[in-house]
Amino acid sequence: MPELILELVLMPLVAFVAGLGMLLMMRKIAAKIQRRVGPPFLQPLYDVVKFFGKQTQISHGLIHDVGIIVAVGGYIAAETLIPVPGMDGIAGRTDVIVLIYFLMVPSLGMALAAGQCANPNASIGISRALTAMLAYDIPFVIVIFGMSWIYGTTNLVQMVEYQQVHGWGLFQAPLLAFAGLFALQGMLGKQPFEIYVAPAEIATGPMVEMGGKYLGSLVVMQSFSLYTAGILYTTLFLGGGVTWIDFLLKAYLVVAIPMAIAFQFPRYRAEQMLGVLWKWPVLAGLLGLALVMLT
Amino acid sequence: MTLLDGLWAASALTALVAAAFGRHPAAGSWLTVLYGLQFLVVAMMGGLSEGADPVPASVSFVVLGYGLAWQFSALSWFFAVITAGAALAAAWFVSGAWGRAYAARGGDLRLLQLALALNPLAMYVLLASTDFLSLFVGWELVSWSSFLLMLSGGGVGVRWALRYLVYAIGGAMAVMAAMAQAHALTGSFGFGALAAAVPELSAASLWMLVILLAAGFGVKMGLLPFHLWQAGAYAETPGPGAAFLGAISSRMGLYAMLLTLFGGLGLGTLQALHIPFTPLEAHELLAWIAAFTMVLPTFTALRQNDARWLLAWHGIGQGGYMLLGVAMGDALASAGGMMHVFNHATYQAALFMAVTAVVYRTGTADLNRLGGLVTRMPLTFLVLLIGIIGLAGLPPMNGFVSKWLIYRALIDEGQPLLFVAAVIGTLGTIVSVYKLLHNIFLGRLRVEHESVREVPWSMLTPMLALAAVVFVTGLAPGPVLDWVAAVQRELGFAVLVPTLGGVDRPDGGLDMLWVVGIMLAGFGVGALIFLAGGRARTVHQLDNYAGGHFLSAEVRYHYSDNFYAGLMHRIGSWYRGSFQWLQDALVSATDFLAQGAAGVYRAVQPVTWLLGVTVLALWWAW
Amino acid sequence: MTADAVTLAVALPLLAGFLSPALGRSSRTAAQWLGWAALAASAAVLWSVWVRLDGGTAAVAVGGFRPPLGIAFYLDGMALLFALAVPVVTLLFWPRAGTPQQFALTLVLAAAATGLALSGDIFNLYVFYELTAVASFGLVAAHEARRAQAAALRYLLLSAAGSVLLLAGIAVVYLRTGTLNLAHLATLAPERLQDPVGLAAFALMLLGLGVKAELFPVNGWVPEVYSSVSGRLAGLLAGLVSKLAVLVVVRALVLVFPRPEAAELMLVLGTLGIVVGELAAWRARDLRRQFAFSSIGQLGIVFVAFSVPGPAGIVAGLAVALHHLLTKPALFLLAERWGGAIEGLRGAGRGQWLASTLFILFALSLVGVPPLPGFWAKLLTVMSLMEQGTGPARAGAVVVMAATVVEAAYLFRTLGVLLARESGAESPQPHRGPDLATASLAGLILVGSVFALRPLGDGLKALAAQAVDVDGYVRTVLGGPGMAVSHPASQAPGGAGGGARVAHVPPEIAS
Repeated sequence: MPELILELVLMPLVAFVAGLGMLLMMRKIAAKIQRRVGPPFLQPLYDVVKFFGKQTQISHGLIHDVGIIVAVGGYIAAETLIPVPGMDGIAGRTDVIVLIYFLMVPSLGMALAAGQCANPNASIGISRALTAMLAYDIPFVIVIFGMSWIYGTTNLVQMVEYQQVHGWGLFQAPLLAFAGLFALQGMLGKQPFEIYVAPAEIATGPMVEMGGKYLGSLVVMQSFSLYTAGILYTTLFLGGGVTWIDFLLKAYLVVAIPMAIAFQFPRYRAEQMLGVLWKWPVLAGLLGLALVMLT
Repeated sequence: MTLLDGLWAASALTALVAAAFGRHPAAGSWLTVLYGLQFLVVAMMGGLSEGADPVPASVSFVVLGYGLAWQFSALSWFFAVITAGAALAAAWFVSGAWGRAYAARGGDLRLLQLALALNPLAMYVLLASTDFLSLFVGWELVSWSSFLLMLSGGGVGVRWALRYLVYAIGGAMAVMAAMAQAHALTGSFGFGALAAAVPELSAASLWMLVILLAAGFGVKMGLLPFHLWQAGAYAETPGPGAAFLGAISSRMGLYAMLLTLFGGLGLGTLQALHIPFTPLEAHELLAWIAAFTMVLPTFTALRQNDARWLLAWHGIGQGGYMLLGVAMGDALASAGGMMHVFNHATYQAALFMAVTAVVYRTGTADLNRLGGLVTRMPLTFLVLLIGIIGLAGLPPMNGFVSKWLIYRALIDEGQPLLFVAAVIGTLGTIVSVYKLLHNIFLGRLRVEHESVREVPWSMLTPMLALAAVVFVTGLAPGPVLDWVAAVQRELGFAVLVPTLGGVDRPDGGLDMLWVVGIMLAGFGVGALIFLAGGRARTVHQLDNYAGGHFLSAEVRYHYSDNFYAGLMHRIGSWYRGSFQWLQDALVSATDFLAQGAAGVYRAVQPVTWLLGVTVLALWWAW
Repeated sequence: MTADAVTLAVALPLLAGFLSPALGRSSRTAAQWLGWAALAASAAVLWSVWVRLDGGTAAVAVGGFRPPLGIAFYLDGMALLFALAVPVVTLLFWPRAGTPQQFALTLVLAAAATGLALSGDIFNLYVFYELTAVASFGLVAAHEARRAQAAALRYLLLSAAGSVLLLAGIAVVYLRTGTLNLAHLATLAPERLQDPVGLAAFALMLLGLGVKAELFPVNGWVPEVYSSVSGRLAGLLAGLVSKLAVLVVVRALVLVFPRPEAAELMLVLGTLGIVVGELAAWRARDLRRQFAFSSIGQLGIVFVAFSVPGPAGIVAGLAVALHHLLTKPALFLLAERWGGAIEGLRGAGRGQWLASTLFILFALSLVGVPPLPGFWAKLLTVMSLMEQGTGPARAGAVVVMAATVVEAAYLFRTLGVLLARESGAESPQPHRGPDLATASLAGLILVGSVFALRPLGDGLKALAAQAVDVDGYVRTVLGGPGMAVSHPASQAPGGAGGGARVAHVPPEIAS
């Protein structure tokens, strides 16, 4: 019991630091592609501190605050469900289905917060964000099903153990790994799937009324989301991690791929996004599933 | 006198009081007490879920040589406790301000109270069925009492009630055909005789029974393609009636299916019944029908602009999960399917009541004429929020537990497509219920709703109680799963042995106590992070970014219509494939034939007919 | 009183009918009382005979000529039940506002109908059938509306054609067998009528009788007549006369033509009648026409039920027929004030709660909602058809059930109009007291029978066992077991369950 509570405290801390690093990496990659220098090393931290320290903090009501807390808290809860080197107590008590659902919670928290703002730009943004969820979650659950089938368990800890014996999921089901990566792109809300933000059209959508600690919390949330996505993919396909070094290396690598792709693309409209995500990753996923289940 | 007699007596007394004093100002409270009494009697039979002997009724008849007898078993009790709870909540909701306002608006309160009282009575009779005959009698009673409830509000509801009636009679006739067929095959109406005769029956007769029973009871459940009556009929019923119907009424179809198909014919029979030229068996056919029922009505719900209709369509979709779970038939799936009956009843009743509360205060359920009410009706908002989390099947509410069980079983069974269909249904539900929440409670508060207040406690109490049940049985699903385990044992399913928090299994179990704990811990950390920032100032809703314009009360600054424009751009054209055409075609065909039939008597000289037929008859005789 | 007194049940109304116009010239009231007295006496006679027979059977040779030569009445449960129904229903549906001539015709109708129920030979049946036709034609024509006149003409033409067919059928039977006594025929039929000619004779008789029994497709008069005459007369014709024609058909089927082909013909025509009748009723926009078409459909169910061989079919058929006898006339009485276009009745049921409640009750029972008797009748029909298991029988069961859906749709659509909140242009007058009282009585019987389902079911079973007992019939009429030679008919479906109840004949009647 005490070690579980320790995990509950330690894991978010690690995630926060690693996530801020991923934010930095994202901005560095963007800068490299756009031939800029990019921000200094501690810039993500500075941003967070600045947002939280602002004097003007505007709330649109209780649900606005609660929504933000749910959004951040949802990712924090989600990442504790994924085993990391040395800490898999909590992960062992739940399973990947619970994780899928936890991953939906932040979107809904943000939806609550944005909805309370009484700004149609925010509402439109949320409608698009939920549409995006409908788009990327379908290939994502196909992948989850396939990997659970291969590993014969929905327990993430056992999945890692299986891979350490039988080899990485990536090699057992490359098509599913491809579909998973595709879905990841949507899940992270990066170009070309960032229609819900669309700054020039709907003034950053859900974030339109967010400032100060609200925006700061969203930055924190983003760092958690990058970290969660990275380690989830690592756990499902790259054999998890034996040590923190190889684990984080894999996670950073996973996150770097969507980043590198993202900044090469403009954005899709909502219906185009649905078309793309319901076609290629789903096809690849189903094909991979067929290969896995029939052989 | 047994407890079952007591239950019937209490329920009949409730109906009598409703019929006699329905309009009396204090009748609402008396009736609530009587519904409480019913609930108490059901609770006293709780031993049924712990393996006690069935509770028989003292009444029994012999009609035309057939015996009619009734008794309560674990299966009956599970459905009865939900019925009693839903009826109690609905009656409580009516008892105070809502009932007075309904009568003041010209509604027939006595008729509503009577219809509301007759429904549980009919259900208790149905739930005590022991053979096909008593099942059919109870079935018809339930059909007609819900018909009465549907038309009690008058207006548009009558049209929908009549449509329901046609579907219901059609279903009942299918059941009657199955029952007559079973009698012809086994010489008895008993389920046991049917089960015993299964090995000797040909595949064709088995298929006939399966199809007739599934279709007959499927009508009540709103299974595709027999679902077109349900949304309108439930949505247009007066609010508390809709809450009751939406909670439990169509689940009677599942009860009857469990009793006849799964208990009578047996799951093994369904699993051995092969569909020619396909790799599917009968139970998989049911599962696929359930899958379509999950997906299509859910996405129809997404398009609704009336809160009641939206919920009613979701009710159809959720029925699909129940049948899917039961049809898959292993311990996890069937437990999930049956537990979903309980879960759905709790959150659906709460949701309908919350929407009715909004209608009570604002006079409309039109999702394009509401908005921003969270500041005015915070507790109703809370109920609706808890309800939609349950409906969408997200942790920490009870809807998640049942859906988890079904998903887990589908992975075990290796059913990827059904799994994906189930998830698509859930995602569609999430998307749709957010619209419901947003368009009523979030966004801009309309000027005419500035003075709206929270609804009175007579309405809030049952709503909050139901919401509490949704949360508590999500946090600790063990007791409900125990009830389900008793049902599984009775019907011969594999039995799921639950823990307090869910299921314990090495390859991925579920412990909701942990799940909820982790979630709340996450929220706690999130709150710590959030509260690290400076103190926030709450601003008026007009103090908003508007691209440089100044906002005033006259400017419409709320996004509600065609909420998922992008999504509809992609899938809007897919809705043409809905089953409306089937119903339309049937009605047109009947009308066309009827025109011909009437023409027989109009166009042709009767004597000509007579002579013509005589010639034909003589020719036939040779 | 011996069983011979049963002739009085026919003779008294007939006599009163002849006296009535003469008496009516001086006093209409006296003519009315005379009619009532005759009918009451007829009912009393039949009742006392029934009590006396106590479940047995008896044959009565009118005028002392012994069968197979003379005129014979055959008394068993089924015959007496319907015979007793005649005076009772006629009293209830007495044309109170009519002229002495109408009284006379009604009495003749009653006498002829009683004769139809009791007759033991075909020629008598034909005579009584003709008398029924003439009387009912006169009653229909007595209505002065132009529509009624046109309907009466149509009715006359069809009736006449039907009579010709019936006569032709009887002629064929006579040519083949040389007898018209049903019992005698029952012994001869297995040798002489089991061929296409015999089947043709049955077809002719079926179609001829079918005109009155509303058998499809020779029922073209039904919608016109029922929608233009008074509700009382429509009730009498739809409720009573049609059932008696069916009864004759059933007798012929069981005794003379126990062949699967004959039953199949009845099944097919009955099924078609259900389809056409219920569908036409679904489209009907006039309440009386709706009931008329519904009546065609219900009679179709009666035919379908009776087509099932053996006691099961008779029980089901009797149940449906009696149920229809109870409900449809009562509905026609309600249509007395609610006649005309259905849309014009918007809101008419509000404020007339008794009438509306009765309508709902009858509609529920017609649709077959347990525990009302209509449900048990329908269940018995469907079960006996499914039990039979042949393709046409199953198709018949499916049609019966599909028709129920259509029936529910139109009956409750009409109810929805009647009970609509908004009211139509003009609200019709309230129902007349006697109409409502009669309808209420039917409703009470309907509800009361729910509590007597067990004795009713047993009674019907006993009746049916007696009705299919061909040997018993022959023995009772021709006397002595010598005549009841074992013949194939007793092994045929019609006689299968016959042995269940041995005819017990009180000695003073048998001698």
